[in-house]
Amino acid sequence: MKAPAEGTLRGIATFLATFGIGVATYIAIADSGGGSPVCIAGGHGCQTVAESSYSHVLGVNIAVFGIVGYVVLLTCALLRGDLARMTGFLASLVGFGYSVYLTYLELFKIEAICQWCVASAVLMTLLFVANATRMLAYVGREP
Amino acid sequence: MNDGRRERLIKLASAAVFLTIVAVAVLIVVSQSGSSGGDSENIVAVAEVERELQGIPQDGMVLGQPDAKVTLLEFADLQCPVCKGYSEEFLPQVIENQVRSGEAKLDYRTFTIIDTNSIPAAEAAIAASKQGRGWNYVEIFYRNQGEEGTDYVSDEFLTAIARAAKVPDIARWNHDRRSTSVEAEVEEATAEAERLGFEGTPSFAVQGPGTQGLEALGLLQSADAIESAISAAH
Repeated sequence: MKAPAEGTLRGIATFLATFGIGVATYIAIADSGGGSPVCIAGGHGCQTVAESSYSHVLGVNIAVFGIVGYVVLLTCALLRGDLARMTGFLASLVGFGYSVYLTYLELFKIEAICQWCVASAVLMTLLFVANATRMLAYVGREP
Repeated sequence: MNDGRRERLIKLASAAVFLTIVAVAVLIVVSQSGSSGGDSENIVAVAEVERELQGIPQDGMVLGQPDAKVTLLEFADLQCPVCKGYSEEFLPQVIENQVRSGEAKLDYRTFTIIDTNSIPAAEAAIAASKQGRGWNYVEIFYRNQGEEGTDYVSDEFLTAIARAAKVPDIARWNHDRRSTSVEAEVEEATAEAERLGFEGTPSFAVQGPGTQGLEALGLLQSADAIESAISAAH
């Protein structure tokens, strides 16, 4: 199967990473105000997840790490060349792996689902697919 | 095109994928082997308990409208896993259907039978009740209960529960839980359970217009059985 053009993959990754920055920023701002993200569909999942001990690592809300990750992914999507391809792949791999772990925590440890976290996990999964396809198809080749 | 370079980079990517899979697996295994309760660093279900009890008056260890005609007494040990199960599975239904509506009050009595750690736990809950947070204390304690016999009931754990239960004055709570009056209250509750003939936790008793004084019920097997006992006491 022929891979999509690199420009298309970079465009998709740009869109997803920008969206991801928005989601992670919303979660971080809601947390910094002392509250928790509001579930659009109602329910208390977001509050339960935000209040759990897993929502912070070393005192920092994990959404802040999310913002950093999405900014790195956005930068890689905007740049050409192997460094951007490899960094984008590795960053999305780490983001995807961490999202798998967080989804596991939500389902089996916190026993609550926050749709904002699910949204981020879906974005990270799609970013991983886009970056992996870009890397596999184009790494080691001319930009 | 540089095929050698491309091959090296793809090998590097494959190694990264492998490492990520290992890292996620390790994180999941570590989180599973971690504490299953009794962890003062990780108090959970605070918001859930807050929602369950929100808007219901508390007077000492009595939860419910003061003019509710029926009082259901629960004699329980905070370290008892079966009591934890009742608190999580049965009582929320009773609280929602019969306590919130003003039909019944729940009176939590500490019946300290598991081991000596049950006593400071009971004293901590009663001290919290002096500040209107007794039920929050009990419910949060249950949801963070450690494994029986693991000595998780430390001062640190009890204080973490008090903070999570939003006991307003922790200094006063610390003073109260070590006071002789609270100690006497705990001893009296256990003595009362024994007088009623109870040998295990949780044991229930009910008092209402339809009962002759305080009626010992013993162990009730389900939320429906608890609700029926309350209805029958009307």
